[in-house]
Amino acid sequence: MELNNSKIKIKTKNLNVYYGAKQALFDINLDINQKEVTALIGPSGCGKSTFIRCINRMNDVIDICKVEGSIQLDGNEINEKKVDVVTLREKVGMVFQKPNPFPKSIYENIAYGPTIHGVAENKDKMDEIVENSLKKAALWEEVKDRLNEPGTSLSGGQQQRLCIARALSVSPEVILMDEPCSALDPIATAKIEELIDDLKKSYTIVIVTHSMAQAVRVSQKTGFFHLGKIIEVDSTEKIFKNPDKKMTQDYITGRFG
Amino acid sequence: MTKEERLKKRYRAEKRFQMYGLISVSCALIFVLILVQNIFSKGSSAFSRTMIEVQVNFDSSLLGLDGPVTQKSLKDAEFYDLAVESLLKIYPSKDTKEERQVLRLFSPDYEYEIKDYLIKNPNKIDQIVPVKITASDDIDQLNKGNFPRDLPEDRRRVSNYQLNIYDNLVEEGKIDKKFNNYFFSKGDSRDPELAGIGGSLMGSFFTIIICLALSFPIAIMASIYLEEFAPKNKITDFIEININNLAAVPSIVYGLLGLGILLSVMEFPRSTPLVAGITLSLMTLPRIIIPCRASLKAVPPSIREAALSVGASKFQTVFHHVVPLAMPGTLSGTIIGLAQALGETAPLILIGMVAFVVDIPSTPVDPSASLPVQVYLWSEQAERGFVEKTSATIMMLLGFLIVMNFIAVYLRQKFEKKWN
Amino acid sequence: MSETGHTVKSYEEEMQSLNDNLVMMGSLTESQMADAMSAVIKVDKESVDKIVKSDGKINELRSIIDNQITTVLVKRAPMAVDLRITISTMKISHDLERIGDLAKSVAKKVKPLPVDLPDELTASLRRLGDLVQKQLKDVLDAYLNKSKEKAIEIWRKDEQVDDLTNLAMNEVATYLQKDKKNLEMATHLLFVTKNIERAGDHITNIAESLYYLIEGEYLKGARPKGKPVESE
Repeated sequence: MELNNSKIKIKTKNLNVYYGAKQALFDINLDINQKEVTALIGPSGCGKSTFIRCINRMNDVIDICKVEGSIQLDGNEINEKKVDVVTLREKVGMVFQKPNPFPKSIYENIAYGPTIHGVAENKDKMDEIVENSLKKAALWEEVKDRLNEPGTSLSGGQQQRLCIARALSVSPEVILMDEPCSALDPIATAKIEELIDDLKKSYTIVIVTHSMAQAVRVSQKTGFFHLGKIIEVDSTEKIFKNPDKKMTQDYITGRFG
Repeated sequence: MTKEERLKKRYRAEKRFQMYGLISVSCALIFVLILVQNIFSKGSSAFSRTMIEVQVNFDSSLLGLDGPVTQKSLKDAEFYDLAVESLLKIYPSKDTKEERQVLRLFSPDYEYEIKDYLIKNPNKIDQIVPVKITASDDIDQLNKGNFPRDLPEDRRRVSNYQLNIYDNLVEEGKIDKKFNNYFFSKGDSRDPELAGIGGSLMGSFFTIIICLALSFPIAIMASIYLEEFAPKNKITDFIEININNLAAVPSIVYGLLGLGILLSVMEFPRSTPLVAGITLSLMTLPRIIIPCRASLKAVPPSIREAALSVGASKFQTVFHHVVPLAMPGTLSGTIIGLAQALGETAPLILIGMVAFVVDIPSTPVDPSASLPVQVYLWSEQAERGFVEKTSATIMMLLGFLIVMNFIAVYLRQKFEKKWN
Repeated sequence: MSETGHTVKSYEEEMQSLNDNLVMMGSLTESQMADAMSAVIKVDKESVDKIVKSDGKINELRSIIDNQITTVLVKRAPMAVDLRITISTMKISHDLERIGDLAKSVAKKVKPLPVDLPDELTASLRRLGDLVQKQLKDVLDAYLNKSKEKAIEIWRKDEQVDDLTNLAMNEVATYLQKDKKNLEMATHLLFVTKNIERAGDHITNIAESLYYLIEGEYLKGARPKGKPVESE
């Protein structure tokens, strides 16, 4: 089986994560390739979300969470105290399960990130950033005439694309998606999947999903997690057509439980 | 019991419960209505005062003016003689005792009322002009129907002679009621008809401003720190318990604190809104911290995560996103806390705001009373005229509280609309 | 292949039904093939109509299986082994139907044959028929047991089928050279021989599909082909 021979964007080595005394991830060694979509599948509570939250150090906000091991982004270690998480999160953006736009206008939602990072020198530049982000998220045409309306006035699917645009506004290199479509209807889901297809040309994407069909559709590489361990990781075609491990097969064919 | 019987029993119980609720609400409403009716019936008359129309002869010779008639010379002149001369003309009096009784029909300020009239209308000099002069407290109350006329004379405040004059004046149509602007513009006075809440109003105003200026920022900062930044350990738990306890401390204790520290040790000026403001801010602090913390807690974690994921620091997340969303609850809590502070009496009495202050304070370090203290002071007075003033002051207080609560509701709705 | 059943029982039942129908179709095809071969060797013209009619049952099963597969695809979005089973079942059922058709064609050719068919003409044909029948039986057994080794064996034996075909055709050619009057009969026999060889090809297809079902990969390399025998 041939893996895409592209450069590795994120590399974890011996990654162990604990919530207090309970261990959530056991010795995870996973490579994420650049400008590719990697899907993480597995039953609930198996550690997929915990894993991706390590990549942008979101687990830092949980007091009892301890992250041990190496996580490298472009070869640079990010799991150490001296790393500036603010800069890291500029590079690694995140989209959450339930759309969470700020209770501000659509414009302000997108402009917030660039504002606090001081990216735009003047209003024109900011307008440009907002427009580009919304275009990249396939939302511009739908909202260009109502940028001053609150972000929460949009439909669920539009709100999620707004959150994607917000993540894109700070020009990240990696986008982490934690079940981005689980709260959306099929049409909105299809639009997001189309968006992911497009985004992977420029960004590295890691997506956690409960939908096997979605993982097959959008990803090039898939990792199967179970009880905090990686059972199998390989090209998506291999995993879903002819996996090596019985546990993987049982899970994806619905023989689990 | 069959199923139908059980169902019927349940429905009956529910109906009973609804009735209990309705009865409770009705009882509460009735109590409120009785209270309001009582106060309003007693207090509404305070908003008018009785005036007696008198033909005043602005005889310049009685003024002892030196040179030409100017504003300045009028202001310097003595109007007593002119006033008395005109007032005594309203009814024949046969001796000084009766003259005194005639003069006592009027409020002691008659001299200044006449003076003010001429200063406003200097062209009336050397003319005889009808001027309305405030009646005395006794006549005022008599006119409002608060004095029983059928008591024997020695038990009455108004003599038969004075009654005759009054009846005469009524017949001549010279007794009138006018809107009582004195109630708002004047400070405290020994004479009820001249007493107003001007002083205590300003006193309360300064007190609340100082209380707000001190307690609001400290409470907000403390809440934000405790809720967002403080490590979750036993020390912060201890602080939280104590803040909750502080909210339950009786307000008079804060008065003792004010007395002991601010007045005795730090020797701040007594009876001033400054001291009152500081004392009340101590009391209001926990009352703002508690709703503020609750509002901060109520902000959903998804907003914090969204901000963090875009690269906001903890500080930026809290101040750009969490605090604005916590504002509706915080503001509601603040205004309610301030409304409570507005109505506080016991601690202010302890720090000396019971002084009899005539002048309206112009700065927070001028001695003054506050509205609720004024109510207390007036309720202790003997004169009948103070009864209506007391009730009217209570009406004003209630009015302010209602307005403040409306502001709280409005602000809350306005912020919540943004949130949604 | 997977001992644990699907969590959703109806899914399990659907796959089982698919399997059962395919096995039944295989049995029907097997008996059709046997009947057709026997009719040729014995020149039994009475049995031809029955054989032709029975082909309808095989076609019907193919329709049923096609329908079931469409249902499984739309309902279950099958993954991994389930996906391979579904696709392979479709391919195998089509191959079985073709074998059934070829058996029918063979049977139809019995009517124009002379009753006194000389033995030397049918010697290799008989051996070819036996081999192909055995291949068919073996591949159906291999399917039941999901045996990868057997599938490879059957796949390799295709070479023998080719060899026997060439031999049988040679025999007819040789006979024709001796006695040119029997061109028609020879043509029929050649036709029958070719059909049997094609049946053998379809059986090899089934072996390949089975291998993919089990292994998830395709058998590599070209099929071993027999060398054509030079005619004298």
